[in-house]
Amino acid sequence: MYVPDSGEIYVNGKRVIFTSPIDAIRHGISLVSQIPQLIGSLTISENIILGLERFGMMTNIRRVENYIREESEEVGIKVDPNTEVWKLSYTQKQLVELLRAVMLGAKVLMLDEAITFLPIREKRKFYKFMRKFASQGGSVILITHKIPEALEVADRISVLRRGKYVGTVETRTVTIDDVRKMMFGERSAQITYERLPTSTPDDKVVLDVRDLWVMGDYGAFSVKGVKLQVRAGEVLGIAGVAGNGQLELVQAIMGLRKVSKGRVAILANGGLKDVTNKGTGKVRSLGIGYIPDEPLKFGVSMENNIEENLAMLPAIAKGIIKWGQIRGLANKLINEFKVVTPSSRTPVKLLSGGNIMKVLVARELSIAKKLLVAYNPTRALDEVTAVMVRKIIKEKVLKERLAVLLVSEDLDEIFQVSDTIAVMNSGRIVKTFPAEKAEREQVEKLMVM
Amino acid sequence: MDAGLIAIILGVGPAFAAYYLTAIGHGLFEKSGILNLAIDGVFTVGVAVAYVAALFAGAAVAGSVAALVVAMAFGLLIAYLATKLPISHGAIGLSIMFVGYGLAALIAVPIRSQINAVVSYPMNVGVDVAFIIFSIVIGVLVHYMLSRTKLGAAIRAAGENPHAASSLGVNVLRVRLIAGMLGYALIGLGASFYFLAYTPAPYSEGMGMGQGWIAFAISLSAGRHPILTILSALVFAELLYNKFVLQGYLGLSVHITKMIPYLAALVAMVIFMVTPLKRKLAPPRALGKIYFKEERTV
Repeated sequence: MYVPDSGEIYVNGKRVIFTSPIDAIRHGISLVSQIPQLIGSLTISENIILGLERFGMMTNIRRVENYIREESEEVGIKVDPNTEVWKLSYTQKQLVELLRAVMLGAKVLMLDEAITFLPIREKRKFYKFMRKFASQGGSVILITHKIPEALEVADRISVLRRGKYVGTVETRTVTIDDVRKMMFGERSAQITYERLPTSTPDDKVVLDVRDLWVMGDYGAFSVKGVKLQVRAGEVLGIAGVAGNGQLELVQAIMGLRKVSKGRVAILANGGLKDVTNKGTGKVRSLGIGYIPDEPLKFGVSMENNIEENLAMLPAIAKGIIKWGQIRGLANKLINEFKVVTPSSRTPVKLLSGGNIMKVLVARELSIAKKLLVAYNPTRALDEVTAVMVRKIIKEKVLKERLAVLLVSEDLDEIFQVSDTIAVMNSGRIVKTFPAEKAEREQVEKLMVM
Repeated sequence: MDAGLIAIILGVGPAFAAYYLTAIGHGLFEKSGILNLAIDGVFTVGVAVAYVAALFAGAAVAGSVAALVVAMAFGLLIAYLATKLPISHGAIGLSIMFVGYGLAALIAVPIRSQINAVVSYPMNVGVDVAFIIFSIVIGVLVHYMLSRTKLGAAIRAAGENPHAASSLGVNVLRVRLIAGMLGYALIGLGASFYFLAYTPAPYSEGMGMGQGWIAFAISLSAGRHPILTILSALVFAELLYNKFVLQGYLGLSVHITKMIPYLAALVAMVIFMVTPLKRKLAPPRALGKIYFKEERTV
């Protein structure tokens, strides 16, 4: 995918230069990433055959189906190879990715956060498979930001920090704190998985969603009759495995995706105002902050500087932009959130991921008068920054009675911040708990049920 | 049925073959994700090349082969430019369209001013039927290739998401070059049939211009599906071929009869956009998107 600017890669002692993924595959290196790299409109067999070089271009796909079926049974996966990939759940897609990697004859299996968001039961299956794979002479490189995961499965742990190699240790000689220190240096003390203080919600309902039906990208319903309420001073955390309708739900609430049936209402002038299908502009004008999934792609404009990234929101600047005011706001937010930047006029792309994220969170919190909708707000952040972002959000909830709808695929995050936890599965909210009474095991079970 | 009516119905053969082959060539190429706006220019070149080559070789088949080869070269060029460089597909397509218009005149007009003859395919009902069968066989083969073979899956993958396709092991450039070659071979063949079988007449400048767009509409109104395109091409070809009959029978103005095929296309597109066919016949997701790997340094 990338070609190194300098440095060398050796496979079995031979120097290699990979200019495309297929080169790497030919050398027995397969990558499974966090986001399935499959093509939705193609079937499982079509997706898999594309990488299998022993089949010529004119091979009939039907001929490969049986072969795929046999192989998948061997790996312990039940899939009908004739299914189109968009119909699969996230977990199934990841299983297909793994099957693909194995069928490509991988000797080195690279898992880039590939199992981070899988339910625990599937994870354990993966762990077992990885052990078997390794014992048969294969190697596995597991890239993860979850230290316990690394400690559980790895023989050796290597730490990278900001693109630099820190060191490698034998797993059985280290503790979780040792690894954390390697990853974050002195800052490691700031990391905590403790629950943040619980807030007692007011009676005032800020977001009211009723019987919401929303289509996914492929014409099937992804959200099937969701009902939820978020009150002032409450964090409602929606737990779920990726691809169970959370994305569509959030987009529908924010006016970014058409609602087929049902209603979204937001508190305005003392009463609930219907904003169903009224568009993002309308929703945002009611004082709603939004942190989208893949925030670095959809939340900021990388080419523009911090001031411009603030001014682009109608809630901050309307019509003619008063740059003096914007600069004032920018500097205020930079100080408040300790954004490390040469100036408020530095293009955002020159900042580190954590600092960009701080700019985004600061901006959204500054306009979120009533409600913040956040989807995986700390994905792609290092743990220290992630914890900081969560603390800032929670503080706003406690002090300013902000209502927060937090959708996250990271259960640690859900449990750390939420006051109420709702579990979403196959487009439905299957259960809602007060966070203090929710048990992790039960939540996980409901997520994959 | 009387012989006259049969002749009217089957007489559409050459027109059908010309539009159908061009339309499935277009659909095949666009399935790989490249927005094909050059079609009309290359179609016009195909007509000119077919005219000149058939004339010099004294055989219509030679005209078809030459048009096919020349169009193929255009297909390769378009596929290469659109895949390898960060230039908009629209800019590439429209530039090549105008190059095509000019090139066609350059090739054919000087010849026309010296020689006043046309070599064409024979015209009779047997040949008409042969054209229909030949083009439908090609259509079925294209459909088989697209839906059942690895090459077809690779073409669709490149059209849906070239980056993911590449990480799945598809050589996007190669696949698009193949799609460009095959698609434009059919467009060239269609153009040659248009001139050498449908409207054999002394060449005049700009001949064939606009016909590529008709094929474009035929392909789109069938959602680029090779089998469905049989239907849309047949409707278009009948309406165009019999436009004078329609005029005579219904007393419609020639301008209105010329509009009818396009109105039919519009209706067809509306029909499949509001029905579940919308998903089945959805355009490739990466159609017209720039695919360019910036990080390449080797």
